[in-house]
Amino acid sequence: MALLDRAEWYDIARDTNWTPKYVTEDALFPEEQSGTLGLPLEVWESYDEPYKVTYREYVRTQREKDAGVYSVKAALQRANFLDQAEPGWVSILKLHYGAFATLEAMASSAESRMARFGKAGGLRNMATFGSLDENRHGQIQLYFPHEHVHRSRQFDWATKSMHTNEWAVVAARHLFDDIMAGRDAVGVALMLTFAFETGFSNLQFLGLAADAAQAGDISFSNLASSIQTDEARHAQIGGPAVKILIANGKKAEAQRLVDIAIWRAWTLFATVTGPSMDYYTPLDRREKSFKEFMQEWVFGQFERTLLDIGLERPWYWDTMLADLDTRHHGMHAGIWTFHKSVWWDVPPGISRAERAWLEEKYPGWEETWGAHFWDPIIARFLKDGPVDTVLPSMVQLCNMAQVPITGTPGWAPGKTGRPLQDFPLEHEGRLYHFGSEVDRWIFQQDPDRYKDHLSVADRMVAGMIQPPTLEGLLDYFSLKEGEQGEDALKHSWLEEYRQDQAQAA
Amino acid sequence: MSTKPEPLKPLRTWSHLAGRRRRPSEYEIVSTNLMYDAKNAESPFELGPNIPLSKWFKKYRHGSPLTGRDWEEFRDPAELTYRAYNILQDGQETYIEGLFDQHNELRYDAGLDTAWVDVLPRLYTPARYAFHTVQMASHYLVQIVPSSTIRNCATYQAADALRCVSHIAYRTAEVKKTYPDSGCGTAECAAWENDAAWQGFRALMEKVLIAYDWGESFVALNLVAKPAMDEALLRQLAATGRRQGDSLLGLIADTEYRDVQRSRTWSAALVRFAIERPENLAVVRGWIEKWLPVAEQAIDAYCRALPDSPEATTTATQAVHDFLRSLDLN
Ligand SMILES: [Fe+2]
Ligand SMILES: [Fe+2]
Repeated sequence: MALLDRAEWYDIARDTNWTPKYVTEDALFPEEQSGTLGLPLEVWESYDEPYKVTYREYVRTQREKDAGVYSVKAALQRANFLDQAEPGWVSILKLHYGAFATLEAMASSAESRMARFGKAGGLRNMATFGSLDENRHGQIQLYFPHEHVHRSRQFDWATKSMHTNEWAVVAARHLFDDIMAGRDAVGVALMLTFAFETGFSNLQFLGLAADAAQAGDISFSNLASSIQTDEARHAQIGGPAVKILIANGKKAEAQRLVDIAIWRAWTLFATVTGPSMDYYTPLDRREKSFKEFMQEWVFGQFERTLLDIGLERPWYWDTMLADLDTRHHGMHAGIWTFHKSVWWDVPPGISRAERAWLEEKYPGWEETWGAHFWDPIIARFLKDGPVDTVLPSMVQLCNMAQVPITGTPGWAPGKTGRPLQDFPLEHEGRLYHFGSEVDRWIFQQDPDRYKDHLSVADRMVAGMIQPPTLEGLLDYFSLKEGEQGEDALKHSWLEEYRQDQAQAA
Repeated sequence: MSTKPEPLKPLRTWSHLAGRRRRPSEYEIVSTNLMYDAKNAESPFELGPNIPLSKWFKKYRHGSPLTGRDWEEFRDPAELTYRAYNILQDGQETYIEGLFDQHNELRYDAGLDTAWVDVLPRLYTPARYAFHTVQMASHYLVQIVPSSTIRNCATYQAADALRCVSHIAYRTAEVKKTYPDSGCGTAECAAWENDAAWQGFRALMEKVLIAYDWGESFVALNLVAKPAMDEALLRQLAATGRRQGDSLLGLIADTEYRDVQRSRTWSAALVRFAIERPENLAVVRGWIEKWLPVAEQAIDAYCRALPDSPEATTTATQAVHDFLRSLDLN
């Protein structure tokens, strides 16, 4: 063989640490960018990335991946899948691209922070590929939805969303700025790659890819699973960093960063992925419930990864497990109710058949969400006709997750779910509200990091949203008519209940 | 009663591109208007103005004297997208692989002049440290520049630097197989840290790496330090190699130099874009005046060590000056 094996030269390409002389190590790796907790360069020499790839291999593999994904798209473009797609699926696409495309592009900056300020050569090289990967994910997830902009102004949100103060965007930005754009290199390695990407990105990209394949959206299914192959590689940047922290007496710090990121990822996924899977995806296309995906990937696979690497289960593991039965149902109920406040049309997802599925997947759903949230709405709509509902003005937003504080309607001791409860905290004379003890705990880990932020509800109270009316709020969200979400089925779902009612009479 | 506004109608492209007269290219569709944190000077991140990185970005991005342009309007003249980048570089790497393969087949290294083999671990293989500093500095640009269109250019430039590091690492291991005691694969760090030939570039790059103002970082790296290094390492070292019977070195350097030209093209375009605001001209010139002497010293320290190449310093320095002159900064 006239070519060297990768193993013969790979180590040389990552042996790039040197001792700075003309500037200090601290100037070269300042703590606010590096976040190495005082661990010097020598300590990072043992960093060993488990997934090895060379530049040559990278550009070939990625060219091939793109050739595959783009050619499938081109071949299917004529078929105009979206023209016949079920409304729920179209909503998923609008939600997905608006929530993730720009953030993916932003993730390349975070990867580059590791590639510049990480203290290990292997880490810097892997993050170089990671930065390219996220550059890809941003671009490809703009290229795909661009084909649909002529269908609805809501697709414009793939590039527009992050420039607005729409509430779900504020929530997503608060999370990703916390674990990614506004974090140091070690923080990014632990929180973005290890916690978020290893633990959660499967859910959005493999879970949705599975649903997409079922729904017949081959183009999106291919796209999402191709993206996940990149994630699976660069998600492995964080693991060796965790090991180095543990080996050097920083286990508590590593655990804390990981615990913060997992909970924060959970609250976001419960807001966007949970409703997508359990309410938007057409019933006969659902591969698994959101809860089942969570149990398999987070409470199964990712929990093993955590323990294997030497970390503990997060202290709130049982709280999170219990939250699987509540949080995303509440998010869905809230988003459907205030559908004008999002850039996608919201399917209610509560036909009789869908309710039977929900009850099967979430025993107790009917006697709580069904009986105490949806049935009263249905009764009112049948009596007075459907109206655009909006959230009551006193809805409380969590000062960490930036989403409504929820509980299970009709909850009583012994039933699944949890009561509606605020977890308040007074800090330096200001009263903060949290949707869970975990959100409050995160705040307490670093109050200076979070204390200056105003939730959208705080901004309303502070008079920053003018006029303080529904119109003023939607304007603040940059949502004009034509962008504002509607009931995705235009209330046609009521018909089934009307017939039931007629038969009963 | 207020009249209801007309619902927004779907457009043919993104709303931020819709006002233009021509159809957007794929490049524009996937590259523009993506950097949300560059919009809010007071609080770049959703967490508030006082977290450490908010202060960093306020100081080094928004506080830069290079200012006053809508940077999202900058366009890469090559309109390079991710997928085009991989097609381009996969082609170049297939070529490199062919070079490696053929030369190895012909037992190329066994035919190298022994005096030249002694030069390699001193002046060639330590260059992986030098190019790695360019990789690092380019990644700093990725996070600190004020628009997604500039960010893209820096992302590919950072990857190009890793490409150079990889070629050097490969050749280091390969030469070592034929010459286990040459120092290839063992002597590099010491050479980078102690050899007088490298101290100019090492000092230059350590200082460039901590030039945190985004504008200065761009000028110092892309207009001065990187051109200096590229001229010394990809041009003068390669020329010396050819005279010493090592033509492979030059063939590798020639394909790397195509990446250099791409970097210079977008860098020149960014300078032109920046100085459309006349006040920026003095800012750019000031930084060039600050960094050029340091780079010239680096070129000289390195080129002086190249065997039998008395004109190397002058030629490399001249090439850097030619590039700077092409920017029309007078
Ligand atoms: Fe990604
Ligand atoms: Fe990622």
